[in-house]
Amino acid sequence: MNLLLIAMIAAMLIPMYQALKDDDIWQKMLALGSISSKAGIMTLFISVLRDDWMIGAVGAIILTVGNAGLMLLAHIIKRMDDL
Amino acid sequence: MIDVLSYLFFGVGIFFWFWGTSHLVGKRSVLFKLHSLSVADTLGSILIVIGLLIKIPSRWPLLTLAIISLAIWNTMLGYVLAHCSSDEAENQKEFPTETL
Amino acid sequence: MNDDSYIYILTALLPLAACMVVVQVNPYHALVIRGILGAIAALVYSVFGAADVALTEALMGTMLAITLYAVAVRSSLVMRLGVLEEEKVESDGDVLKVELTVESPRDFNSLMKDFRRIFNKYYLRIEVVPFTTPQALHRALMEKEIHASCVPVLDSDAAGEAETKHYQTVTRIQRLYDIMQPEISSINTSLDYKFASGSGEDSQ
Repeated sequence: MNLLLIAMIAAMLIPMYQALKDDDIWQKMLALGSISSKAGIMTLFISVLRDDWMIGAVGAIILTVGNAGLMLLAHIIKRMDDL
Repeated sequence: MIDVLSYLFFGVGIFFWFWGTSHLVGKRSVLFKLHSLSVADTLGSILIVIGLLIKIPSRWPLLTLAIISLAIWNTMLGYVLAHCSSDEAENQKEFPTETL
Repeated sequence: MNDDSYIYILTALLPLAACMVVVQVNPYHALVIRGILGAIAALVYSVFGAADVALTEALMGTMLAITLYAVAVRSSLVMRLGVLEEEKVESDGDVLKVELTVESPRDFNSLMKDFRRIFNKYYLRIEVVPFTTPQALHRALMEKEIHASCVPVLDSDAAGEAETKHYQTVTRIQRLYDIMQPEISSINTSLDYKFASGSGEDSQ
């Protein structure tokens, strides 16, 4: 299980590197979406690993609400170029 | 038996994660990256959660909620991002005459 | 490999993401990276067992704060440029249509493109505010409604280049003048700095 988690962290490092390197804001938004869903899944995974119901609830809420916030941010950034 | 099955799901899910995210590096268009990311990432995440569900079935309400929200929200986020980013690319291409 | 090794790796991600936020120059990019930092912070907090802190970070710190900051940055990083436009009243049956048009839109659009190129380096947006009379434009500049004004000038000297119009840009803000001054030779306008009455508290 430990090895699996470390593999997940490695998978999360790829979009972080991409977000640092790329200059286009939409590429950064893609990396942000990828990282936030990965973080939610990892929280769920750790909650099962430790048999902790509370952390699992937090992971599910992050998964559900985080994406909605991303959509809001995407629309605001899109409006930035109008006008 | 159950353990082997759940580990199989984890392994395949993490493989999908790497596969989807590896397309993120490189000089491709946003839409190409969005496609690979939303397909492979969502599929990998759902597989991992299914693996967790097999391992600990007593937590089914939480994990089912996670699967449903992943499927719905990630699809919708893909559509929203594609709409926003492609609109901007169009604007940059043809320099529309500003409505003054 | 002991049981806690993943915790150390996860915790190391947090300062890494924080450094990524710090080195960003563009404010919008910094906001997006701040979202990444928020996601990782929520993950680390929940790994250490602080479920309530993680939830607050995810909902308030990431979602609400970033959205509000994006709105704030978008509405404050703007230069309001007043221009003169002609009022054209068309009677379409019973309906009177009032249209604002600028003289020789081709020159004006190329000038606006130059302005956008200059100010994009400083992540400033340009908002064009139309006025109908020079008096109203001048008053708006003096009363700090707009940051700069841009009007066409008729110069009889340059008879040879009658095709292109010349513009005169007046700003009341020292910083905008400093930004535009090095680039002034490449664009089709002259530049003036005018001290607005009581402009000591101007921040931009």
